[in-house]
Amino acid sequence: MNDKERDEPSRDGAEIEEGPDSVRRGLLKMAGAVAALTLAPGVTVFARDLVLKGQHKAKGPVRYGLLIDARACKTGCDACVRACQDYNGLSHDPGPDNAQWIRKVTITDEKTGFTRSFPMMCQHCAHGACVDVCPTGASFRRPDGIVLVDKHRCIGCRYCLMACPYKARSFVGRVVKDQRPWAPRGKGTAEGCTMCVERVEAGKLPACVAACQKAGHKAMMFGNLHDPKSAIAVRLSEVATTTIRADLGMAPGVHYRGI
Amino acid sequence: MRARAGVLAVLSVILALGLVWAAHRRPVAMPVVPRAPGHCVLPTAVMLRTHMMLLRSVREEIVRHDARDTRFRLTGCVACHVEHTASGQPIPVNAPGQFCATCHTYVGVHLDCFACHAAVPETPGKFGGLRGQGAVQAAFRIPRALRGRFGASGAGGGR
Repeated sequence: MNDKERDEPSRDGAEIEEGPDSVRRGLLKMAGAVAALTLAPGVTVFARDLVLKGQHKAKGPVRYGLLIDARACKTGCDACVRACQDYNGLSHDPGPDNAQWIRKVTITDEKTGFTRSFPMMCQHCAHGACVDVCPTGASFRRPDGIVLVDKHRCIGCRYCLMACPYKARSFVGRVVKDQRPWAPRGKGTAEGCTMCVERVEAGKLPACVAACQKAGHKAMMFGNLHDPKSAIAVRLSEVATTTIRADLGMAPGVHYRGI
Repeated sequence: MRARAGVLAVLSVILALGLVWAAHRRPVAMPVVPRAPGHCVLPTAVMLRTHMMLLRSVREEIVRHDARDTRFRLTGCVACHVEHTASGQPIPVNAPGQFCATCHTYVGVHLDCFACHAAVPETPGKFGGLRGQGAVQAAFRIPRALRGRFGASGAGGGR
């Protein structure tokens, strides 16, 4: 429970949803009266007040997320993928060593033949496996819920590529030139969807969402999941949506409708 | 004995040649750093000594703690200090003779910011960027109210 070092979820009281951490927190709460858990002689885990008082249930004011309506997403349209590549300076060429921040996925139910096409990218999980496994703390979650790679700390070990069940991370294996000023990227680091963090901070939509709207499909919606008045939160409260591999308990910030 | 005398002779010839070379060697000229318009975010003397620390600490704030409005971000440095060709094309700041490369070559310090970061500012209107170059420059110009804190002449030049 070293919340001080893994400061992202606990900073400014950001939310902790159901997940492996909350199970551990629950165990710690049981030992609340003691406030310290002796594992072995000389090895003691001290629980912080924050955990014991149950403040971890408080939700942070901002958690950015996406709602992707797979019913509206058009098979064969890759406007979002193109927009991401253009904006972030990625190659259009789907070569084996080219980074892929967002991709179109087509799923088919073999029994019924039901087919859906939708974009997949970093799901910006509350308890991302990439953040868990990163040995240097380079993979981290911002207080607003966006999961990023701090490339200053990334040593290129590729654990996050292995850990992510969504295959959302890429590794840069070659020297990169002509980077966009807002999207630094270089050889030897892992990377993935940034939810266009600098656009979001400037009050704009992520490039993929903007492109989807421009293409007239309106299959992607962006907003603050924790603001009950935001369009995305209202929509999520009204319609049936799902997160992919919700069983993993990582609480993704990207929701899907119609899959 | 003869072998030792031979080695000594060769060594003294090398030493003599070295002394002659040292005597005729011209001192390495101080680097001439291209000047940028306007005021820097801190006085030149401070920036010369601390820019690496500033960038290092501020990158932590910018990347991890969403303090993106800070004055010390690298894109701000690049936006001000980039030079342009006659046809108006920006020249990377790490190209030979440019702002960053001039000093880093002189002191022999490897510069790897630009392995990942763009060495030219964003081109207005291209790729749907957020701001024009002028806006970036304006955003990182030192506020008038703060200039007095660093001496009477303001922020200490535009280097």
